[in-house]
Amino acid sequence: MPRAGSPPSVAPVRRIPVRGREFLDAPTGPAPALPCADASTTHARIRDDGSCECRAPLLTLPRLLLPFSGPDPIRENEMSARLTIRRRPDARSARQAGGLRVAALGTAFVALLVPALSACGGSASSSAGSATLKWASSYFPSHWDPVVSGSGAQFRELALVYSSLTRTDEEGKAVPDLAESWEYNAKGDGITFHVRPGLKFSDGEPVDGAAVKSAIERAQKQKNSALFGDLTSIGSVKASGLDVTLDLTQVDYQIPQLLGERVLQIASPKAAANPAKLDQNPVGAGPFVIDQLIPGTKAVLRKNPDYWDAKNIHIDDVELVSAPDASTVVSGLQTGVYNFADLDPSQASAAEKAGLDVFSQPGFNASNISLNVNKAPFDDDRVVDALRYAVNRKEFVDKLTFGHGESTDQPFPKGYVAYDAKSENAYPYDPAKSKKLLAEAGHRPGDLKLNLVIPAEDPQAEIVQSQLAAVGIKVTIKIDKNWATPFFAKDLAFSLYSTTGRDSAVQTLTAHFGPNGPLNLSTPYEPDGFKEAVAKVRQTPLDAPDYAQVLQAATRAGLESKALIFTFSSPNLFAKSKTLSDLPKNPAHIDWTGVKIAGS
Amino acid sequence: MTMVRRVLSLTSGRIAVVILVLVALLALCGPWLAPQDPLATSDNTLASASGAHWLGTDYLGRDVFSRLLDGSRISVLGSLEVALMALVVGAVPGILSVYSGRAFEWLTLRLADTLVALPFLLFAIAVIALLGNGITQAMLVTGALVSPLFYRVSRAATLAVARSPYVEAAIVSGASVGWIVRRHVWVKVLPPIAVALAQTIGVGFVIVSSLTFLGIGVQPPAPTWGGLLASDLGYLSHQPWAPVAPALLIMVTVWACNLLADAIRDVSGEAGRALVDRRRARSRTSTSAPVPVGGSR
Repeated sequence: MPRAGSPPSVAPVRRIPVRGREFLDAPTGPAPALPCADASTTHARIRDDGSCECRAPLLTLPRLLLPFSGPDPIRENEMSARLTIRRRPDARSARQAGGLRVAALGTAFVALLVPALSACGGSASSSAGSATLKWASSYFPSHWDPVVSGSGAQFRELALVYSSLTRTDEEGKAVPDLAESWEYNAKGDGITFHVRPGLKFSDGEPVDGAAVKSAIERAQKQKNSALFGDLTSIGSVKASGLDVTLDLTQVDYQIPQLLGERVLQIASPKAAANPAKLDQNPVGAGPFVIDQLIPGTKAVLRKNPDYWDAKNIHIDDVELVSAPDASTVVSGLQTGVYNFADLDPSQASAAEKAGLDVFSQPGFNASNISLNVNKAPFDDDRVVDALRYAVNRKEFVDKLTFGHGESTDQPFPKGYVAYDAKSENAYPYDPAKSKKLLAEAGHRPGDLKLNLVIPAEDPQAEIVQSQLAAVGIKVTIKIDKNWATPFFAKDLAFSLYSTTGRDSAVQTLTAHFGPNGPLNLSTPYEPDGFKEAVAKVRQTPLDAPDYAQVLQAATRAGLESKALIFTFSSPNLFAKSKTLSDLPKNPAHIDWTGVKIAGS
Repeated sequence: MTMVRRVLSLTSGRIAVVILVLVALLALCGPWLAPQDPLATSDNTLASASGAHWLGTDYLGRDVFSRLLDGSRISVLGSLEVALMALVVGAVPGILSVYSGRAFEWLTLRLADTLVALPFLLFAIAVIALLGNGITQAMLVTGALVSPLFYRVSRAATLAVARSPYVEAAIVSGASVGWIVRRHVWVKVLPPIAVALAQTIGVGFVIVSSLTFLGIGVQPPAPTWGGLLASDLGYLSHQPWAPVAPALLIMVTVWACNLLADAIRDVSGEAGRALVDRRRARSRTSTSAPVPVGGSR
């Protein structure tokens, strides 16, 4: 079967005499098929004497599936006949057979040699002198409308096209992006952003207060918005020239942190008038402009000369492709097919051995076991606690991150400002205690049977299954391709989720522990005191001396939730060609500002 | 039994039968033969082959040899499900289409054409999305898609017999369709169906392996040959040799099925009888004492 991209194969033809006078061109190999009397069921083969022989057609499905050429059961007569008239091989046919063997060996040799030689090509970071970023991404966006795409990991790819009011620096703090400055009112329930002058979207529309207002209102109101839940603090929006003022529903000093690349990538209002079209034809004011987009596969972008910080963008072109299987990414990087890729931890050592730059960006990744406390058996606190004590976080780190990750019992990695050291290791691994709690709850070993519903095969699930089996809980893993629907509708009882975090720590907390948090499987459940603790964080300016303390208290309150068991933090692992300079260490972001490609 | 004896008279037939019997034994006894619990994880991940773990361990520290043995049953049963489903759905309508009137013939022909046109993978995924992820659903669907092979084989063989003079003579003599099918058609249809069945079992192995490779049909952590192959591919940089065992097992089993199909085809019919007779004659000649040149003393 010809592969995509390879030239179509042309079958050699042989001349077949028909009744001794005419010739038919037919592919060599299997006998040619012609319609016969019963054309729908049988095919005719022209015998050498010109007569017609009926036989059933070959079926394509088994043939395509079968890598080994098995016998054709419906050619029984033909094969039998061949057995009776087989001639002895003479010297000529022996020579032909020898020639065929040589040709076959030669073909096999060339087939092996070509890829081997092409693999020696070395890295090719740029072509024709232009600096080209060739990025293989495991998070190739399925939606290019930022309102639909949401706050997930793919925001990094969308940030090639879109800019936002703010961005985060290497400390994770909000710094100017499209907005050159902002100020709160005295009460803290209103904020005005001042947009940089003279900016325009790639379709020529101006970047101004009206465009920002349009983006916020679209995120709040568009039917398929994945962001409206993040914008509940914003009441109304007023635009005036380059200024945009947000009237807040509560005092909230998190807004500059919130309106960064994860939540408010701003699209051209003209393009966004047709959200369906925008979804596959993104128009923003980011560092790059999209030239070609093959949905789900590839995007070709070029530098946006009108980007506000264009002077610090040293990449001319970007080829963003959906990463193939994790095991092939390293060879792609080695051979110059890509020069930048996110990396599965299992491939890190291979990438290092291949001489690639392997590095970990700081981030907020955290994986959890999600429980629905509104459903049995998790409506019993003793069962929830039994699960908490049954989880051995070290096993997740060792087996899934190959030493690159770390265990965590919070939605933040250690060292982050919101990480609450006082809550650390509140439920240490203690299978004996877990068994005891289960016994107290009336569950004998093997009695408790749970269905763990996940969207795709995931070794995490197998580890959970094995750890819970050790305390007498039988877990059946169910893969549901439509997992997202019941998960976000809070219909599941037991599942897994991994977050890449949010720029605003409050957003992370409310997403996990808030009564309507998308990652709270137990909606409308909320731990006691969480609402007040979060409100206090919102009311505390980010530069206040007690901000960290107040934030950590909110984390502590959230961790009282019985709906989530955090397990480990996977690394934001990347590999790049040495021709690429180092990236800024913005937590959880991929920022191309100042990045250079050598040899361009 | 005659057919079995004839198949076993061929070297290729004997090799195929030996391999397939071994695979069947693996399917029957594999879970009991497994030296360790195939689902038990350990800290010894991605370990090389050793006395304790003959084929090493996987990414969760599970014994690969035990998983391979344990996974045989699903792989074998899955391929049998595909073949038997295809046989039942395809062969019976194939024979009946010759005798049951034009409407039935037209309908079944169009249905067979439609089934051939459906891409099995997409169809299997769609049905699994509808009915839930399970090996039985996946195999039954795939069996239905492969059934046109049996439909056409049985129909072609039946057509050839139905138009022969002795069948026409039987019809003129007042024989019923049922009697004709039992007496004349069945014996002619059976050999090509046997060939197709052996071949389809081989195809079934590839289908089961393909689907389980993609995670379709089997819920983790249940081991299958295809599933082991898929999981090994993610850790090639750690264990480049790991996919060899499951791949070899799949390859040899499919090869044995094809070899068996080949052997059945070679020994069926008049030509098959002639071949076996000729081989017997040749072996008798070779076992008799050689006659010295120039006569004996």
